[in-house]
Amino acid sequence: MKTVTEKISFGDSLTLESGQVLSSFELMTETYGELNSKKTNAVLVCHAFSGNHHAAGRRDGEPKSGWWDEIIGDGKTIDTSKFFVVSLNNIGGCNGSTGPTTVASESGQPYGANFPEVTVSDWVETQKLVADHFGISCWEMVAGGSLGGMQALQWAISYPERIKKAAIIAASAKISTQNIALNEVAREIIKKDEHFHNGDYLVKGESPNKGLKAARMLGHITYLSESNMRKRFGRKLQDPENKIDADVNYEVENYLQYKGEQFSKTFDANSYILMTKAMDSFDPAKDFDNDLVKCLKRIQAKLLIASFDSDWLFPKEYGLDIQMSAIKAGIDSSYIELDGDYGHDSFLFYSDQYASALKNFLNSNG
Amino acid sequence: MDSRLQSIVLDWIPSNSKVVDFGCGDGTLLRILTEQKSVTGYGVENDPEKINACIINGVSVIQQDIDAGIQNYKGMDFDFAVMASSIQCLRKPRDAMKNILNVANECVITLPNFGNWELRLGILNGKMPSSAQLPAKWYETKNLHLCTIADFEELCSDESFVIKEKVYLNRRGSSSWLANTFPNLFAAQAVYLIG
Repeated sequence: MKTVTEKISFGDSLTLESGQVLSSFELMTETYGELNSKKTNAVLVCHAFSGNHHAAGRRDGEPKSGWWDEIIGDGKTIDTSKFFVVSLNNIGGCNGSTGPTTVASESGQPYGANFPEVTVSDWVETQKLVADHFGISCWEMVAGGSLGGMQALQWAISYPERIKKAAIIAASAKISTQNIALNEVAREIIKKDEHFHNGDYLVKGESPNKGLKAARMLGHITYLSESNMRKRFGRKLQDPENKIDADVNYEVENYLQYKGEQFSKTFDANSYILMTKAMDSFDPAKDFDNDLVKCLKRIQAKLLIASFDSDWLFPKEYGLDIQMSAIKAGIDSSYIELDGDYGHDSFLFYSDQYASALKNFLNSNG
Repeated sequence: MDSRLQSIVLDWIPSNSKVVDFGCGDGTLLRILTEQKSVTGYGVENDPEKINACIINGVSVIQQDIDAGIQNYKGMDFDFAVMASSIQCLRKPRDAMKNILNVANECVITLPNFGNWELRLGILNGKMPSSAQLPAKWYETKNLHLCTIADFEELCSDESFVIKEKVYLNRRGSSSWLANTFPNLFAAQAVYLIG
């Protein structure tokens, strides 16, 4: 699989949905496969909350493969021997694209908490610039799970003529109250870390790792299903030699401690807050008199909406809601309910039913 | 769905209408309706393999249990609903019929006729009968509420479901003098346009 990792600089200023302006910005991108001469085989994959541009393959020395490696690759569901797959780290992230850890040219300091609020629409705007960069006038498909699925939906709404298909997986047209509540707890945990300093921790050379770790531990629970945790860990006691912390009793505790710890070393706290805010505020119907049907009527792309039965963070009813509005709007849209063992995280993993639906959708006639 | 049935449905459904097909199978009917009548069509199906076939066919499909799902389609401005050979599989066919007519202005219903002579002979032999329309064994069949043409038309009259058009088909799937004259005995299948 031909893989190109490239940081693209955009010199023109970007006016965000909030009205704030980024004078210039950079996007970390990664592409898989080759763009055909007519540039008609391009697929954009959008990452979820803590994802990044590295969607597929495994680089030397890396502990794990890209976040959608089970789906993207030569001969896989999104077949890179046929399609040119574009993945990027969204602005506001912390994996190479302009975000809170970037040094602002105006101040010479990292943006930190001063990084402007970004929205799903802002991400779509920047992704459109990436399409222009590659000379792609129309995506064959835009796909993503969770927050990535929201971007796929927003693409179909924002640029109806530039997208043929949208795969909206484990997502919703707006998140649940419960989800906003969980996000707020996570933010609170981070902000209450003594090293947070109202978000200006970088200039002080500190990092609110404890807060970030605890927030991720909470988040991680919400990404899994009860049955998955039961099957995977049960009530097994942690073997004493591999305890990450002396207080740990059960395997599940150790697992969360480990995952939280790893995450806090690689992710930025301001990015965490910013990404959850973007997720909370996503509501494309708000620009259409709060009428999702009216909003979806703009869409020319074909939609595939997929929900997982074990997902309690983005319950399947939310996927079905988009579908029902799509039918009212009279647009081409399908809805499937998949068996997923992993709760919300099911969208990351291959399963026969999931992969064949996505593959058939991508390969069906537009 | 056989070609005779398809052509009947194609005749009845006007161009550019909005159609929902409950139990759409692999989506063939909707694909043909989309190609030939420019309908906006949605299928409802609960079998993952058939859903996959719909996606391959490029047909919009919703994975849902029909029994639970029909009422969700109210207020969606459907001109037409299709219920081809699945009414007898539902838990409450009468309620389903009422719901379908709340969902769409008109509906097409096809019915395997349990009054057909071949099936009656089977019963006379003391065995659960089977036929081309009803091939499954009693322990495997999805049919919960089999009925005869006479039963179904009685229900329509009791519930004031207006039968606007009907076609009786014999075992070979074609219209015949016998099937038209004594449908309850000689028709293997009936197709109704109900409004």
